[in-house]
Amino acid sequence: MPAPVRKEEEQKSDTPTHHALLPFLQVQSANALSRLYQSPSSCLSIFRLLAPVERQIVMNLLWLESAMTPSTLSAWVTPEGQSLYDESLVTLTKLHILHNYPAKLALNSTFKSSLRQALTGGGTSGSFGVPAERDEKRLPLDVEGLDSYALERWETILHFMVSSGTGQNPTRPSPGVLYLLQRSGLMGTHHGSLPQITSAGFQFLLHQSHAQLWNLLLQYLHMAEERQMDLVEVLSFLFMLSTMELGKEYSTEHLSQTQKAMLEDLRDYGLLWQRRPNSRRFSPTRLATTLTSSSPDLPSSTGASSSGFIVLETNYRVYAYTDNPLQTAILNLFVSLKYRFPNLVVGSITRDSVKKALNNGISADQASGMALSLGRTLTTRAVPVDHQLSDHPCSPTDAEELQDQVRLWELEKNRMKSQEGFLYTAFASQADYEFVLNYAKQLDVVLWENSQKRCFFGSLEGHANIRSFIERRSGGGG
Amino acid sequence: MDRPSHLSVIVDLDPSRWTALNLPQFISNLLAFLNAHIAAKHENTLAVFGAFPAKSVMLYSSLDPVTDVPPSDANSYPPFKLVDSTVATRITRELELIADDDLEGWWFLSSQLVCPPISVVSAPVALVGALTKALCYINRLTIENNAATANSGDQSLEPVALPDPRILILSVSPDLTSSYIPVMNSIFSAQKLKVTIDACQISGSENVFLQQATHLTGGSYICAERQDALLQYLTMALLPPPSVRKTIAVPTQDKIDFRATCFCHKNIVDIGFVCSVCLSIFCQPVPVCSTCRTKFPIKTLQRLNSSRPPLLSSPSSASAPGRTPPPSSSARPSTTPRPPATPSTGGDQRQLPRSAVNGHAVGQ
Repeated sequence: MPAPVRKEEEQKSDTPTHHALLPFLQVQSANALSRLYQSPSSCLSIFRLLAPVERQIVMNLLWLESAMTPSTLSAWVTPEGQSLYDESLVTLTKLHILHNYPAKLALNSTFKSSLRQALTGGGTSGSFGVPAERDEKRLPLDVEGLDSYALERWETILHFMVSSGTGQNPTRPSPGVLYLLQRSGLMGTHHGSLPQITSAGFQFLLHQSHAQLWNLLLQYLHMAEERQMDLVEVLSFLFMLSTMELGKEYSTEHLSQTQKAMLEDLRDYGLLWQRRPNSRRFSPTRLATTLTSSSPDLPSSTGASSSGFIVLETNYRVYAYTDNPLQTAILNLFVSLKYRFPNLVVGSITRDSVKKALNNGISADQASGMALSLGRTLTTRAVPVDHQLSDHPCSPTDAEELQDQVRLWELEKNRMKSQEGFLYTAFASQADYEFVLNYAKQLDVVLWENSQKRCFFGSLEGHANIRSFIERRSGGGG
Repeated sequence: MDRPSHLSVIVDLDPSRWTALNLPQFISNLLAFLNAHIAAKHENTLAVFGAFPAKSVMLYSSLDPVTDVPPSDANSYPPFKLVDSTVATRITRELELIADDDLEGWWFLSSQLVCPPISVVSAPVALVGALTKALCYINRLTIENNAATANSGDQSLEPVALPDPRILILSVSPDLTSSYIPVMNSIFSAQKLKVTIDACQISGSENVFLQQATHLTGGSYICAERQDALLQYLTMALLPPPSVRKTIAVPTQDKIDFRATCFCHKNIVDIGFVCSVCLSIFCQPVPVCSTCRTKFPIKTLQRLNSSRPPLLSSPSSASAPGRTPPPSSSARPSTTPRPPATPSTGGDQRQLPRSAVNGHAVGQ
């Protein structure tokens, strides 16, 4: 694994990052959440999305019948862990998993009984999916088949995003996916033209595939709210999928109307497979069954060479050993490609190629991280990447050098800065002018001044103050 | 830090001990605990070892290919169901085998979990065997893990140890003094593999060796005082992986019994006599070290004998277990190495010190 990725993981470990879904759940009403907690599979999945300390707090309280006084548990907390522990309690309270805190420490009774049921089995909730009867005539798709299906669907979406606006015509995903991409701001249309990747979309591509999936699903959840779908049913279906077994077929009979409607959308994203659109059984793919795991368990990239690496020379030439069209397309976003061989793409990072990427709406932050993201993008596609010079072993400085150069090119683009404000002019006397100017300088709102012409330019936020100052002065004086 | 962790659980299933205890209840507590470990993270791995009289068996491994899949139903999470059914059936089968061997088909056994009566099972429980198997298993995982991550072509990275491997020993047996040396050897392997050993004494007296094992590997040792609260003990003290223990502490021993056993009678000793050449421990001064055959001068023997506390001054032969003094409650090592007896002139020093184990045990 290359150094940049390792570094990023360490940073993650320092600040516990919450799963992308948790903030969404936190803003849901207590009523909706407690309906969601009725399903053991949802409780199990949410439990998995929690941070380690939060999980331990939940487990500590799970088997207790009566509430605990908060001091009992906090006696176990180490001095260094105190702040983390307090944050964890707050998160759990926001999720309505903790009930009555800070008076007492106890789990929400619905959550408690459902999670207990999930751990011990039993009950009649059927929340882990009703398996379909085995059909000897039509055998379910095997795991490899499901993997390649999911990958094909998922890469179609990514590939479409990457090659938008490059003149290529990749396979278009279904209208539902297109709508979601535009709705979520990952792609935008200009004057009714073909959808183009936006800055947010580029950022999206740099994420791990697992984060990408959740990102899309979150957008889907927001959209579901607008489409008047029952959010609890949507969520519990997603969680049900995440606890299902790969390679098994499940029956659609026990699904609610909303959930049946979701089948089509999720089929388009590659989360589940159905033989025919109106089939009465479905199989979850690996994308679905690994939803609540943190590592990207996406089946590795297509083609024989699922591994490869990038050689980056100090003259900004890039040799990428890959035959994956998606990876090539991502490279094409900021590398001008020169040659293409069956397993090798050669190109160079030039001022023009970077400017082209910048013009695509990629923001400053994204651009400055581009050199590193080049490596990261490919790692997320499960390609071990190695930054190295062609003749001597890799040093991280090469990547840094490149990063600096990219930043310089980016600065070239931003020679002009615009700021809104007010021009103060036509002062009666030089003394008047200087008096007001001094006041404005005290407020630190002067952006430009010219004493010959007796005018200065102040920023927007200072205007109200300056105006009242002038009025007071002219009022007092006159 | 949210990384997957590995847990190997060793269950002491000595039928003679379990007759007095509620085995079915224990099994259901154990299964809930195992499920809680798998529930925490999709990538968590689990292995369960059973220690039976004179036999240790791997009951479950999450990496084994699934052979007999229990029929899935809509109300349980498939991985939980797999663990539950595998562990429960294998335990039942092993206990039946033991019962069959010892009773010659005399007892009728239902498919329920039954414990054969005490008298029939006399062999000591193979706790060390199970511990060694668990260590080998973790070692294998570590090697496989390294092989999987080493293909990036970057050789400069040091081999990645398995994240947070742990062994949990659920014991019902008292110390088996004859297994002192193998236990210590296992502890040192565990330290080398960076494995944390946790232990829970479910019934009976405190287990000195397990205390030492948990102390030396930074694990947690608890003595379950109430059987009905076993699951709560397990969950609170033994479920959190080491990374979480930085925030929510787990009980550790403030008093550790560091006593070693002598090599001659396998007794736990308060005062040991250590061979200056090979560091073997004896409960009384010996003229010739039984391990390395070093001969000690008779004067040293006399001096040592005269300096022993009066209570223990009469060197008895193979001492009865009852003679062992009560556990000292000091955190200080109580095995006091005497000033080493000078080896006699030309003492046979060809043999090298037996192993580092003895040195460590005494040097504590």
